[in-house]
Amino acid sequence: MMMTAAGWWATSASAAAPEYQLKAVFLFQFSQFVEWPVTTSVQNAPFSLCVLGEDPFKKYLDQAVEGEAVDGRPFAVKRYQRVEEVEDCQILFIASSATLPLESTLAELRDRSILTVADSPAFADRGGVIEFVTVDNRLRLRINPQAAEAAGLTISSKLLSLASLVTRHPEPSQ
Amino acid sequence: MTLQRQLMRAALLTSGLALLLTLVGFVTAQLITLRESTVTHLASLGNVIAANSSAALAFHDTEAAREILGALRADPSVVAAELFDQEGNYFAAYPISISPQNSQQMPVDGGHRFEGRYLIDAYPVVQNGARPLGTLVLTFDMAPVYQQLLGLGAVAALVAVIALFGAYLLSRALQRQISEPIAALVATASAVSDRSDYSVRAARVSNDELGRLTDTFNKMLTRIEEQRGALLDSEGRVRAVLDSALSAVVVIDTSGRILDWNQRAESMFGWQREEAVGLNLVTTIIPERYRSDHLSGMQGFNDSGAMPILNQLIELSALRRDGTEFPVELSISAITTGSTTTFCGFVTDITERRQAQRRIESQLNRMNLHNRITRAIGDRQDLPSIFRVVLKNLEDNMPIDFGCVLLYDNAGETLTVGNMGASSALLARQFDLVESMQIPLEPSGLVRSVRGELLYEPDLHDSSFAFPRRLSAAGLGSLVVAPLLVESRVFGVVVAARRTVAGFSSGDCEFLRQLSEHVGLASHQAHLHSALQLAYDELRQTQKTVMQQERLRALGQMASGVAHDINNAISPIALYTESLLEREPGLSDRGRRHLTTIQQAIEDVAQTVGRMREFYRPREAQFEQARVDLNRVVQQVIELTRVRWSDVVQERGIVITPQIELAAALPTIMGVESEIRDALTNLVFNAVDAMPDGGMLSICTCVSPSPAGSDSPVDEQVVLEVRDTGVGMDEDTRRRCMEPFFTTKGERGSGLGLAMVYGMVRRHTAELDIESAPRQGTVVRVKFAVPASGPESAVRLPTETTTRRPLRLLIVDDDPVIIDALREILEGDGHAVTAADGGRKGIELFAAAQAGHEPFAAVVTDLGMPYVDGRQVAAEVKALSAATPVLLLTGWGQRLLDDRDIPPCVDRVLKKPPRLRELRTALAELTLPPRVQ
Repeated sequence: MMMTAAGWWATSASAAAPEYQLKAVFLFQFSQFVEWPVTTSVQNAPFSLCVLGEDPFKKYLDQAVEGEAVDGRPFAVKRYQRVEEVEDCQILFIASSATLPLESTLAELRDRSILTVADSPAFADRGGVIEFVTVDNRLRLRINPQAAEAAGLTISSKLLSLASLVTRHPEPSQ
Repeated sequence: MTLQRQLMRAALLTSGLALLLTLVGFVTAQLITLRESTVTHLASLGNVIAANSSAALAFHDTEAAREILGALRADPSVVAAELFDQEGNYFAAYPISISPQNSQQMPVDGGHRFEGRYLIDAYPVVQNGARPLGTLVLTFDMAPVYQQLLGLGAVAALVAVIALFGAYLLSRALQRQISEPIAALVATASAVSDRSDYSVRAARVSNDELGRLTDTFNKMLTRIEEQRGALLDSEGRVRAVLDSALSAVVVIDTSGRILDWNQRAESMFGWQREEAVGLNLVTTIIPERYRSDHLSGMQGFNDSGAMPILNQLIELSALRRDGTEFPVELSISAITTGSTTTFCGFVTDITERRQAQRRIESQLNRMNLHNRITRAIGDRQDLPSIFRVVLKNLEDNMPIDFGCVLLYDNAGETLTVGNMGASSALLARQFDLVESMQIPLEPSGLVRSVRGELLYEPDLHDSSFAFPRRLSAAGLGSLVVAPLLVESRVFGVVVAARRTVAGFSSGDCEFLRQLSEHVGLASHQAHLHSALQLAYDELRQTQKTVMQQERLRALGQMASGVAHDINNAISPIALYTESLLEREPGLSDRGRRHLTTIQQAIEDVAQTVGRMREFYRPREAQFEQARVDLNRVVQQVIELTRVRWSDVVQERGIVITPQIELAAALPTIMGVESEIRDALTNLVFNAVDAMPDGGMLSICTCVSPSPAGSDSPVDEQVVLEVRDTGVGMDEDTRRRCMEPFFTTKGERGSGLGLAMVYGMVRRHTAELDIESAPRQGTVVRVKFAVPASGPESAVRLPTETTTRRPLRLLIVDDDPVIIDALREILEGDGHAVTAADGGRKGIELFAAAQAGHEPFAAVVTDLGMPYVDGRQVAAEVKALSAATPVLLLTGWGQRLLDDRDIPPCVDRVLKKPPRLRELRTALAELTLPPRVQ
């Protein structure tokens, strides 16, 4: 299913593709271009890909990571409604329906080596690490390197070269 | 091509090939190296680009991908680059002008490949060593690389050419060292072979193998020179041997050309050796008629290598130079040396041997002929056939042109022409000589030969005698007359003549002399043989007669047995018939007539049966004979048989004419009339049977004198002759006609007719004479002796005793029918009859009666009975009462009477069937009161 969708997308490259299917694939690809700090606790645990709030991916996310692994760690897709529930997590997609205000959510996650992703406008500017934007009907990325650095994440230069970087430092919330 | 050039060519070819291989190897190695380095170079480039483009692929950023590919501009050799995503779909390309339509197809296996001047390779796009994101395909232009290689190759080729030229110069200089000494050796060898000069020696140039070769060659020449000398010596010896040989020796090759020819051949055939060698054998010494055989034989050897006549002695004729032929003995041997074959023929002149052989052969032939004639004579027993076979053999095998036998009669002084050979007889007509012709002895010129000398006239034309001149007139030239002697008495001569003058050699004369001696002996033997044959025939005749008598005797014995049984069987008939005729009251005339007929018939049966076993017996003294008038017998037989020869045959439409000639005043003879009548009847029947188509039957009687020399006591014979004009008998039938059971009439005949005639003849001491030949009729003559004088035979008939006293009689018989018949008749006569059905019972009854008050007056007993027979009964009766008479009744009666074999104790023997009258008479006579005492 994913293959036909990707093939179809590749030939037409139109925005008609289900938006969240592509975003699910990108979420998976991030695991390939980002390095997390090595901690013994997560050494043998599954690589967790989490969604906070109402899940817009439905089945696509599960399909995108099916059979994949990062450094021998299998993927685990987890869904949370409240940020307090988020435990061991490597990538967290914050849905726009999340109840708490974004700033408090990010504050809750600070210092926890979590790659935060969202398609909320100005997410990167507000302290998120990667933001999905649509330019000319194409899905593009905005990355906040400072936020990544703060979370202890190292983003590949290849990924960085594709994205537009948010240099403005956010106002410290504390 | 000279050795020099060959050596050079070899050197140049070798070095050229080595250089070429080096060059090819160098260029190939360069090509492989360059290619590999290019692939490696391209791989490093491709891997960098692929690594860089991973994010673009992962996040579908085409522009970023194009930018990355654009970095390839730095290397002009990379002419194209394409990116395909994970599913193999086109993603981005360099240069940008390459559209998905004309882009390279993505390599399937990911390995590199060369297409024309391009190298195409594919590299996976991978991030973090995880799953591939896509594929990068690079196309590299190899043209600059190949140009570089071409430059390298050109330089290498130039170096190779220079090296080859150097090799050429070097080999040119070196090969001379080898080829020059060899050329010198070749020059020496050709000098030897061209001039056959074995004294030339080759010069030695170097010390290596070539030097040694030269030395060896020179040594070889020395050896050849020595052997050649020896060979010439040996050839001379062989020639001397051949020339001293007694046989002509001729050597030819396989084509038939003469190779050698010894002195003997020169003198034998008349050709000198120098002339003969090189000629074709066929036309030189082989006669015309053998030539094709010879050629086909040679052809056969050339084709198959086989020649059957090899190593055998064969005899044939050879041709001299002057064209005359002479016989030779020839043996041929094939000599094969290497691949050539020569034939060596040894020829011996055998003219003299042939002549000697021929003399021996003719001697042998005469001996053979002598032998054959002797054997042929030995097989023959009569003179004419001996002479015939002698003359035939002489004509065919000696051979002679004329041969005959002249028989000499001592008294007549003439010669009789006996036998002539078949072809001689033809020749003899020319001078009027035929068989049985008489030739006067005196002028014939054969006088000396009848005195026992052999006569040889070598030239008949000179002879002054008559007989030789006759032969000479028929073209005969020489003559031999050999006497035929038996016990030094000449009884004839053998005449042999040939057309040639002096045609008989001494050997021939000697042969004829010996032959005539043999013929003489043989004819003597023939005389002896015929005498012996005569004696033998007589002996056989006698033997046959004896055998015939023997056969008849055996038959007679058998007939006696049969007669006995018949006599027993008809006894009751006879008794009852007689008794009925005598005593039956109220017998009608018809019944009486019939009974009388029965009585006569029984009488005839008894007589016939009696004769049946008598006919073989010689006449005996007591044989009851009476005077018989043959004429009367003939007339009776004519009447008796009329039905047979007149009525019966006329029914068949044929006529038999009787002709009776009876001599007047025929003397009576002594004999039994009924037997003679029967015999004559048989003869008449035979004559009638012999004339199925009619004819004349003649019967005559006559008187003839006794044959001279016979020891018959009487002077005259009465002949009874029966003659017919019928089919007659052949010799064999005539010889056997009197044998019992021999018949020519098939089922109709008993085969006993003539046998009975013969029996009658024997009993009457008469003679029987049968003349017959097929279709000539048959004459049978019976000749009776006429008795000188004889008393009238007193035929004494038993006188019936009319006085009958009643008697007490005992009858003993094992046949109840006979007992009943006898009892009834005797009781009818008034006697008291007691019957016993067997010997033992009879004896018991007699003994009982004897002991009682009424003993039997007489006993009548059968002879043959089981357990106790008539003889024993008689003996017992006589033992008990010697006075009581015993009568023996028997079917053997006549024989007992004849044999004088009346058992003791028996007073009278009566034969069965008993005649009542005889029985009564016997009883009356025996029981008379003893008044004679």
